[in-house]
Amino acid sequence: MARRISAPFVATILLVAFCLCGGRPLVAQSQVDSLLDGSSLQDLWVHVNARDWEDLHTHFQDNTYYPADVEWQGTRVRNAAIRVRGVASRNGHKPSFRLDFNRYVTGQTFFGLDALTLDSSWQDPSMITNRLSMALFRRLGIPAPRVAHVRLFAGAGREYVGVYAVTEEVVPSFLRTNFGEDNGYLYEFNHLANDTWGFQDLGPRLGSYVPRFSPKTHDTESVAQLYMPIRDLVERINDAPQSDLESRLSGYLDLDTFILELAIQNFVMQTDGLVGGVGTNNFYLYRFAGKNLSLLIPWDQGNAFGWFDDVPPWWNMDANVLASKIWNEPKYRARYLAALLRVADVVSADDWLLGEAQRDYQQIREAVYADAFAPYPLSQFEQMHASIQQFIRARPDNVRQHVASLGQ
Amino acid sequence: MRLLPLAVVFGMLLSADAERASAQVRMTFDKHPVIEVGNLLTAHIRFKSQVDFREFPEELELSPAKPLVDLHRTRIGLEGRLTRALEYQIEGELSDAGAPWRDAYVQTRSFRQLQVRAGQFKIPFSLDQLTSGMDLDFNYRSLAGSFLAPGRDVGVMAFGRLINDVFRYQAAVFKHGGDNVRESERTDPQADRTYAGRLVVRPWIRSQSVLRTLSAGAAFTSGRLPAGPNGVRGKTVPGDAFFEHLFVNGNRQRIGGEFQWRPLGPVGLQAEFIQVRDQRFGQGIDNEDLPNAYSRGWYASGVWLLTGERKKDARPFLRGGIGAVEIGARVERLASWSHGVNDGSFSSPRAPWVMPRVDDVWTGGVNWYWNEYVKLQANVIRERRREDGHVIIGKGSLWSETFRVQLGF
Repeated sequence: MARRISAPFVATILLVAFCLCGGRPLVAQSQVDSLLDGSSLQDLWVHVNARDWEDLHTHFQDNTYYPADVEWQGTRVRNAAIRVRGVASRNGHKPSFRLDFNRYVTGQTFFGLDALTLDSSWQDPSMITNRLSMALFRRLGIPAPRVAHVRLFAGAGREYVGVYAVTEEVVPSFLRTNFGEDNGYLYEFNHLANDTWGFQDLGPRLGSYVPRFSPKTHDTESVAQLYMPIRDLVERINDAPQSDLESRLSGYLDLDTFILELAIQNFVMQTDGLVGGVGTNNFYLYRFAGKNLSLLIPWDQGNAFGWFDDVPPWWNMDANVLASKIWNEPKYRARYLAALLRVADVVSADDWLLGEAQRDYQQIREAVYADAFAPYPLSQFEQMHASIQQFIRARPDNVRQHVASLGQ
Repeated sequence: MRLLPLAVVFGMLLSADAERASAQVRMTFDKHPVIEVGNLLTAHIRFKSQVDFREFPEELELSPAKPLVDLHRTRIGLEGRLTRALEYQIEGELSDAGAPWRDAYVQTRSFRQLQVRAGQFKIPFSLDQLTSGMDLDFNYRSLAGSFLAPGRDVGVMAFGRLINDVFRYQAAVFKHGGDNVRESERTDPQADRTYAGRLVVRPWIRSQSVLRTLSAGAAFTSGRLPAGPNGVRGKTVPGDAFFEHLFVNGNRQRIGGEFQWRPLGPVGLQAEFIQVRDQRFGQGIDNEDLPNAYSRGWYASGVWLLTGERKKDARPFLRGGIGAVEIGARVERLASWSHGVNDGSFSSPRAPWVMPRVDDVWTGGVNWYWNEYVKLQANVIRERRREDGHVIIGKGSLWSETFRVQLGF
């Protein structure tokens, strides 16, 4: 007679099996959450050969990778690669870095992350504008990289090299975390010098899209496979009648998500985003696996919170073809204004964003004061924080007043 | 600019007797053009051309497909006598605009026991590397000869033949470590001198026995390595990187052994062994010393001239004969490794433990010498690549086919 296995016994076996096997990624994930959630200032130690550290500063214009080990909370992840990153912010005094964990070891991650950036906040004396912006995107349900601050130590002697913003990179691990897949097509948008492109139709030549969109997945596929869908999307945006954007873009771009992203960026006065002063900039494009549907993922919002002067939150909408059509069509304009009010409500509810800004300030202040490589005088750090907090206090009502002035 | 001193010496010697010699210029053609300027100068004009047609295995993860046709070598040069005391050679590669000069040197000629050469020439190491590209038995040099030998540099060398040619020696000092190294090392201002020596013995050269043609030799180089990503290069037959790009610092030492024998008239045997040791002081992630990195290569080859004992005895193709036909085979290996224990860091250029990598290559070939100017060579090459003792997936049997048309005089 067969012995009956009890339900508690089965549950125990399954729990043990989960902890031994399936639980590991969750443990790693929850561990890295404490690095990226910004709840505390973490210490990160990049072990790198002294000569390489010197080369990284001397040859900061190069994208040369150097081997490094990354240590955090007593765990040392070996065989990572480090290089200098950035465009306008590149410098040899306090460079920003990219850490790639699977360059030398295929499939290696840092607690589930393929890569991280260490941003020196070279153009942001407050060092928090990117983190606050990304937090706002995420608060409103838009997938955006997590950003937190660390005290960075480097070299065998564990030299303190300053406060850095550690940023989750938009790489396959980001896609897995946010979309449950990583086999779609991911592109980084490159802003070309003296180019004010904002999704205008570039004509039939796929070559016009190649320098603007760098593939981050499927990068060995043909130009046709990589860029025809982008060209189709841009053509649809341009060909769609202003009054019928939704149905023409259905299945290609979620209009409400785009409107919300636009509203967030204009709320925080991000002047180098979707409707920046020099065209569209700072985003990744992700096309979901097996679909035509694409999503814009925000990147580097370091220019936000810096310019206010009672500018209406529909500044420069003509810089982007889709933004222009949305603004010029009453039914979509109404949705955009509603999105602005939603952002204002989220920001002001329990002074959430102000609380984040104040916590960031308290968290990094002492470390910034000890940062011998800080690019700005401490007085500027203090002024910027005061300015940002004032911005956050005033902006929700300011936006509401602007919206009300349009009779909405 | 590095050849400027040589050009100055050359010019001074010529100008000394130029006026007297100007009326005695004579040009002849005996297998190649020769210009004679009295007793002052002879200039043998040389031309070398090799065009390859090749089919390599598709390895998209390494690099894009290689072009079918490769203009492998197009060189023009002068060689001859300069006054009664000196010999010279100048050779340039026409397809290399960046660094066109190959050999450019003068050497004494009067005392064969002790001659001195100065200029740019091959560092005396590796029989295969020192063999002219026009005289190779196979389309490509062995991987060891191609990548582990140092190549050319600017230097001074004493060389000669002793005891009725039983011993041949070369002892030299060079400005840097040769041109057959990574670009980063070639251009590193910290690159320092390299010393080299080679001794070849032909013990039975005066006898009439079957051992008469046997020669064996040993060679070494020793030089300072500039700190940086300057580890030894190692590539596959198609030319893709095979060795890790390691950071090194300290000395680079090469040792080599060679063997050559033509026991029967039409049959020739040749073998060689090379080992390179790179030191890695202070090259760890935390500036710690790393174990030395080693590279090793060897080959053994044999050729058989089907049409007679000597190539030059054959009647030329299209002139009453078929020329000379030769078949050959070569087996070889190129490997890299370090001592130490696998700590999982092997794929980093600062890895303490360098994962052992081995490329085993088998080559079979046919050479058809139409006449003294034209040679056709066809090779079939099989590679098997291994990491840490295991055949790399998909790299167990990689086939390449190459065909070369060679023209030279």
